[in-house]
Amino acid sequence: MSMWLNLAFLLGIGLTAHAQGPAFDEYQVKAAFLYNFAKFVEWPPGTFANANDAFGICIVGQNPFGSTLEVMVQGKKIGDRAFAVRRLRDTQQASKCQILFIGAAESKWTRAALEALKGANILTVGETDDFTAAGGIIGFRLEGTRVRIQIALETAERTRLRISSKLLGVAEIVNRQP
Amino acid sequence: MSSSPSTRTYRGHSAIFLTRICISLALGLCVPIPGPAQTARDLTQLDLADLMNVEVTSVSKREQKVSTAGAAIYVISQEDIGRSGATSIPDLLRMVPGIHVAQINAHTWAISIRGFTDKYGDKVLVMIDGRSVYTPLTSGVNWDQQDVPLEDIERIEVIRGPGGTMWGANAVNGVINIITKSARATQGGLISAAAGSQEAGRGLVQYGGQIGGKGAYRVLGDYANLGNALAPRGETVADGWHKAHAGFRSDWELSPKDALTVQGDLFQSREGQTIDTLLIKDLPREAILDDWISVGAGNVLGRWDHTLSNGSGTSLQVYYDGYDRRERGLDEIRQTVDVDFEHHLTLGSRNNIVWGGGYRATSDDLTPGYAIRYVPDKRTDSLFSTFVQDEIKLAPRLWLTLGTKLEHNSYTGFEYEPSGQLVWNLTDRQTLWASGSRAIRQPARADFNIRADVAIVPLDNGGLGVVELTGNPNRKAERLYDFEVGYRAQATQRLSLDIATFSSHYYGLQTNEPGNPFLTTNPGPTYLVIPIIFADDAHAHNYGAEVFANWSVTHRWKISPGYSFLQMHVAGDPSSQDPAAGAIANESPKHQFQIRSFVNLTRNLDWETSVFQVGRLTDGGNGSTPGYTRLDSRLGWYVGEFLEFSIVGQNLLSPAHAEYHDAFSILHTLAERSVFCKVTWRF
Repeated sequence: MSMWLNLAFLLGIGLTAHAQGPAFDEYQVKAAFLYNFAKFVEWPPGTFANANDAFGICIVGQNPFGSTLEVMVQGKKIGDRAFAVRRLRDTQQASKCQILFIGAAESKWTRAALEALKGANILTVGETDDFTAAGGIIGFRLEGTRVRIQIALETAERTRLRISSKLLGVAEIVNRQP
Repeated sequence: MSSSPSTRTYRGHSAIFLTRICISLALGLCVPIPGPAQTARDLTQLDLADLMNVEVTSVSKREQKVSTAGAAIYVISQEDIGRSGATSIPDLLRMVPGIHVAQINAHTWAISIRGFTDKYGDKVLVMIDGRSVYTPLTSGVNWDQQDVPLEDIERIEVIRGPGGTMWGANAVNGVINIITKSARATQGGLISAAAGSQEAGRGLVQYGGQIGGKGAYRVLGDYANLGNALAPRGETVADGWHKAHAGFRSDWELSPKDALTVQGDLFQSREGQTIDTLLIKDLPREAILDDWISVGAGNVLGRWDHTLSNGSGTSLQVYYDGYDRRERGLDEIRQTVDVDFEHHLTLGSRNNIVWGGGYRATSDDLTPGYAIRYVPDKRTDSLFSTFVQDEIKLAPRLWLTLGTKLEHNSYTGFEYEPSGQLVWNLTDRQTLWASGSRAIRQPARADFNIRADVAIVPLDNGGLGVVELTGNPNRKAERLYDFEVGYRAQATQRLSLDIATFSSHYYGLQTNEPGNPFLTTNPGPTYLVIPIIFADDAHAHNYGAEVFANWSVTHRWKISPGYSFLQMHVAGDPSSQDPAAGAIANESPKHQFQIRSFVNLTRNLDWETSVFQVGRLTDGGNGSTPGYTRLDSRLGWYVGEFLEFSIVGQNLLSPAHAEYHDAFSILHTLAERSVFCKVTWRF
């Protein structure tokens, strides 16, 4: 009897150790990464005019996150600043953005949009395969069932953004092709 | 856990028991079990390394990447759809170079890719979310029955050129794949209404929500009422159209590796058209009358995607599609069931393989119309198919894709459709590709079994003869051997270019051969039947090119110019006695040009203009159609994040123009200058 109980306990522990959590949608994980980018990247002084200006995460064009991103950053702060999630229809209004996400649905115009942002102190994030080659700073890739990030270091170094070594350590560093 | 000596034996056991519990618990607590985040917000508590290990579900299957495809692909994106001012899928298709869209009346279009335009468009495969929507009766598409709200379209992928290997028979000249948004992308409410000249009114109400933690759904209802249009001679013609549609879609994440989609629609429509037809009951005579088309249709589709590991996955899809369509007196009741299976996997580091199989059964029940009947009037057909395709990485920048499809159909037995594509990434910004394929068009029910009375001929002896188009059960499949070369380049950051050229050889195309006249033995007055029997005694050599570009002129203004050229040479084989064997070449324009311009005027106001120039259709037997230029323009105003107003003008350059001619007894109407306003509210 005790042997079966032992087995049951070990099995129980074993099952718990391998238990899959509830399924997460790809965009929930990407939204969590965007929140982390805000924590692990430094924007140059003078980025914000006032102490209570919100930290802007902007999505250009089609929004694949639904309401996930807003829900995720609600009530959280970066330093003393609250987050503001904005939806833009083009890069014209990007001045209030610290992080700018361009979804896969916009692939026809991504390069032109990134060129308009060249050198600006905005962390550009995308998910198309050629996002970093097109001039973006951080690109998401799906490897099997996990989300990976690629960072184009040269592109980042042309801005005054400073990416923490913690973030560089988990990413694949790629250099933008000329 | 102390124990007194007197109860040692009993407590000894329980002590050991309890000790084991504690040790197990302690071990359990020490084992680094990643505390499963219970909600999405908890993901923000994980550190970067843990976030990298979270498994995700991604409903997006292995999508064809346009930049590395070995075929002429064009993707109509959501921005193209939202900013085009188009109100129907045929109108959207105008922007694809190589497609010829000719509106015949308010609810009928002749749509073709790379030639062979006629009402039936029998050489193009059209699918909605993997469900085939061409009718096995004629191999054509009843565009009036395909109602997908434009707001729910994720993208439309158009492949110009044969898609036989992946998609099967009837993908001879191209594939149009309409993909709707996942239910997760259409959460919340949406109400849109439009009204305009030509008594046009449309409304859509849609709502999407969550089901438990694992699913999402949307339900929708839409209605449209389009008014009567102008006939060539100036009088108003009955081509009004009322349609109503209810639909749903649900998407589920059953587990991190399993996704399920279930979707369905109910549709009803009533349309008017004026026809010039023979009436065969009693004494044959010709009449022009107002015909009513009525359609009732429904479908339900389920698809299960299972991810195995590292991008390898399987997909199983089942659908049922049924409709009852009454047109020109003919009542068609059709039911189709289809099962499809697909497995994509990587072998080693160089091979991406897709293989699969499918079965489709379709059965019909046809009641004779004014001048059309089918012999036999009921039939059930089966289609078995299997395919395999391997994308081989020959070198870091060179891929060779080889594949074939093998099918067995009820008309011509076994058919095979092989293809090969070579894709070379010259640089990171330029791709050169070439392909060769064989594709077939399986005969349709009409090719084998139709009897259509088309003309009355007075005879010398005072009697009447009736010319009857007759199907031929000996028809073989039409065959295509196609060769293409293309080039894609990102010329500068702002300018991308895409060029595709093709040379296509067709065999076994339809001709109409004279048969032996006979006296009809029907009850009623006798008359002479003069049969014209379908045969496959024509061949063709078509060639051409399509060029298009996307250019961001400034950061507020971008333009997309496009041009297509098509030269068709169609001729009867020596055995053919059909004098009009090559006439179909005159039904497609040689040159088409388009340019679309998108301007962001202010933060909330944008303005789009599209110009389409379609060349002349010389006489294919039904009169010629002059070339025309069509200008559409849209002004969109966004109030906050949830409200959108737009005003759209279509055909602004001339009061009315013809895009096609009378076809298969249907009298054509003109495309008129019109304006409509639309409001969309999302909440």
